[in-house]
Amino acid sequence: MKKNDRTVLQKIVLQTIGHEKRQPVMIPLFTILLSLLLGIVVIALLGKNPFLAYYNLLQGSGLAPKASYAGHKGMITDFTSFLNALTPMLLAALSVLIALKAGMFNIGVSGQMLAAAFISTVLIGYSDLPAVVAKPLVILTGFVVGALVGSLVGFLKHRFNINEVVSTIMCNYIVQYVVSFFINVFFVDPISRQSKNVGQAARLTLTDVVVGDYKMDIPLGILLAAAGVAAAAFLLRKTTLGFEIKAVGLSSKAAQYAGIRVGRTRVLAMMLSGGAAGLAGVTYYLGYFSSIQPRVLASTGYDAIAVALLGNSSPVGIVFSSFLITVISKGSTYMSSTAGVQAEMASAITGLILLISACGVYVKEKVNRWKENT
Amino acid sequence: MSDYIIEMNHITKRFPGIVANDDVSIQVKKGEIYALLGENGAGKSTLMSMLFGMYEPDEGEIIIRGEKVKITSPNHATKLNIGMVHQHFKLVSNYTIAENIVMGMEPVKKTFGIFKTVDMKKANEDIRLLSEKFGLEVDPTKVIENINVSMQQRVEILKMLYREAEILIFDEPTAVLTPQEIEFLLEIIESLRRDGKTIILITHKLEEIKKIADRCAILCRGKLVDVLDVKKTDTKTMANLMVGREVNLSVDKPEPDFGQEILKVEHLTVQNGDKFEVVKDVSFSVRSGEIFAVAGVSGNGQVELADAIAGLLKPAGGRITLNGRDITESSIRERSLEGISYIPEDRQNVGLVMDLSLSDNLALKNYFESPFSQGGVMAGNEFVNYSDKLIEKYDIRSGQGSSTIVRSMSGGNQQKAIIAREIERNSALLIFVQPTRGLDIGAIENIHRQIVAERDKGKAVLLISLELDEVMNLADTIGVIYNGKIEKIADAKTLTPGEVGEFMMGVGGRHEKE
Repeated sequence: MKKNDRTVLQKIVLQTIGHEKRQPVMIPLFTILLSLLLGIVVIALLGKNPFLAYYNLLQGSGLAPKASYAGHKGMITDFTSFLNALTPMLLAALSVLIALKAGMFNIGVSGQMLAAAFISTVLIGYSDLPAVVAKPLVILTGFVVGALVGSLVGFLKHRFNINEVVSTIMCNYIVQYVVSFFINVFFVDPISRQSKNVGQAARLTLTDVVVGDYKMDIPLGILLAAAGVAAAAFLLRKTTLGFEIKAVGLSSKAAQYAGIRVGRTRVLAMMLSGGAAGLAGVTYYLGYFSSIQPRVLASTGYDAIAVALLGNSSPVGIVFSSFLITVISKGSTYMSSTAGVQAEMASAITGLILLISACGVYVKEKVNRWKENT
Repeated sequence: MSDYIIEMNHITKRFPGIVANDDVSIQVKKGEIYALLGENGAGKSTLMSMLFGMYEPDEGEIIIRGEKVKITSPNHATKLNIGMVHQHFKLVSNYTIAENIVMGMEPVKKTFGIFKTVDMKKANEDIRLLSEKFGLEVDPTKVIENINVSMQQRVEILKMLYREAEILIFDEPTAVLTPQEIEFLLEIIESLRRDGKTIILITHKLEEIKKIADRCAILCRGKLVDVLDVKKTDTKTMANLMVGREVNLSVDKPEPDFGQEILKVEHLTVQNGDKFEVVKDVSFSVRSGEIFAVAGVSGNGQVELADAIAGLLKPAGGRITLNGRDITESSIRERSLEGISYIPEDRQNVGLVMDLSLSDNLALKNYFESPFSQGGVMAGNEFVNYSDKLIEKYDIRSGQGSSTIVRSMSGGNQQKAIIAREIERNSALLIFVQPTRGLDIGAIENIHRQIVAERDKGKAVLLISLELDEVMNLADTIGVIYNGKIEKIADAKTLTPGEVGEFMMGVGGRHEKE
């Protein structure tokens, strides 16, 4: 390809994302921008104002002021509520990320979340333990149960060579139906048809806390999520276990040759992945919510796969990607009530982002090819 | 119109950080055998990849049969009657020979006059005729995974001929063959030339060039050094031009000084994944200060033997002793710490984690030990210091030093990195499997010198090689393996290459008995 037959578009693309070092950041940004542009087109076709709709998303997430607020509500309460939704997403993405690094796909985040949350709910949520004991116990139980389910998957892979995608999906079904059975038989709230609410002492979100003039929900879990991200970054960059996980994920043969116990590393990675999913579960069902809806798996676990990929499988990257995806989903209710754009539109945009980000590798390849032919 | 069938003028090709070809011009006459000689990373394969349409040159022009062309893909190259046999064959292993050859341009018939199906009967017949015409007899109905490497190579050649290639490019064709097979391949190449084909041979084996090539272009670090008339040039001159300095083709090896027994293998039996015995009741020992070379044709159990000693495969029977300690049940890590360094055959999939940095790979076997790690936490700067030291000491060349992703390095430098890592570990036993496969003369010379130096330091060296020359040059003791059994163990001085070759084919020692 000669220089003169390159289009203006190609030039712009090369200028922005041609640089190899910047690609890990620029390509996700590029895909996000492209999807938002597509979103604009679709919303405009519906006859609505796309910019207003996008602004509504920010308003709904407490990132921009709304025109009016109900009593005791404000931008800050919207924002804490946004953080409340962000917490499980971040932890779930972390779970996917750790498994990915070890070369495995944890499709079972949703099931691990549910299992962890259900056990915590039954053991601690319905107990009379004081808050200072109950909250740490919820976190601990959540982690342990998630880790157990995760390591089972890792063990099945190691011992019987069962593909983790299959076993996690099976686990999802098993957990979903077993939990539904127990909820429907023993723990159902006859009015809401969900599990009975957990006690305030066990909840990881403090509800209706009065701060000044506001009544807000304070998600304690966000601290946990932040600590989780930091711990994962440290694990992967600085520890020998992280080194082993990466080596196994990139080349299990070479890892074995180097004396790394591949099976053990896989089980450990799945254990940590499951643990993170368990934490996502308790911050979701005993934080953001306070009950479990039977026979439904949280979509968070699936969205998290995409969030992890969009975040370039890096602990820092997923902070940004989960932020973005949560803004869109959290702000959608306000968007639909104000701009009259259906809340489903938000899911559609999320879908577009994920679809296009899945093409990230292709985009990278294409751009590098253009560059080569410069 | 000029009398050249191929002209590549002023070709320049850059990759990030490297100029692979720098203003290279070659002209090839119709019907000649034209050799491309050069060290690894000299740019031979890149140059031919551009002729075959896998890359496009950044600068320069390609003229085929007097017409300027822009070759955009291998398909395009095929249309221009250019064919290439790659170093790593590109065959579907569970298809038959005929299916592999016709794939992409199958003869088609209409079943019941409607449905298009592949006419395998015709394909088999076509291939049979084609193979007879060129003296490359194959059974078209045999499945690829059941035939040996040299037969597979024949299939690759037939694939080109089926596509009516006039210009045949061979990329390191003899790297995987036994001496006898090489002989035969060279005859095939000769006869193809007699049929009017033009042949380009990428190689770094000087004897082959001397034997069959008409002219030889020498590349060194991306630049064309010289084009020589092979008949008028001796191999020594070619070698020097290729490396850019004086080379010593034979290995200087002082008399061995054997010490105590380091490795002892007794009645070792190893099975592969299908429970098939690939190493059968093998016994031998290697002393300190000794190079024990296992000679054999590819696929006779050598790799499995090495894997079993290093712990990558569990033996089905027998005993392995290192320094007097039974290590038959030890893990890979325990053996490695006990004193085994292992340079595996498959350097890219086994020896290295290709997507990690050079510094991570150089510490791949020590990352958990002090000073690299303390209590499970790694000290990143120790990795870089250590790697900088090894890069300097072993002359490992890469784009960005310690932080280079290994995948982006040339094959020769990847091997240097593995050898650096394994030698630096200062183990009592070093296992080298095919340490110089695919490397150029300069690198081979260098590795051979390192192997001898390790022996002279009192290390025990187990060398497994398919190259008879390498075995003959380096070994103090030779063990010949055939069909999983060690057929013969003898002092290297008492064996001639011919005798070793016979044992490698499983027919050794027959005359004596008669």
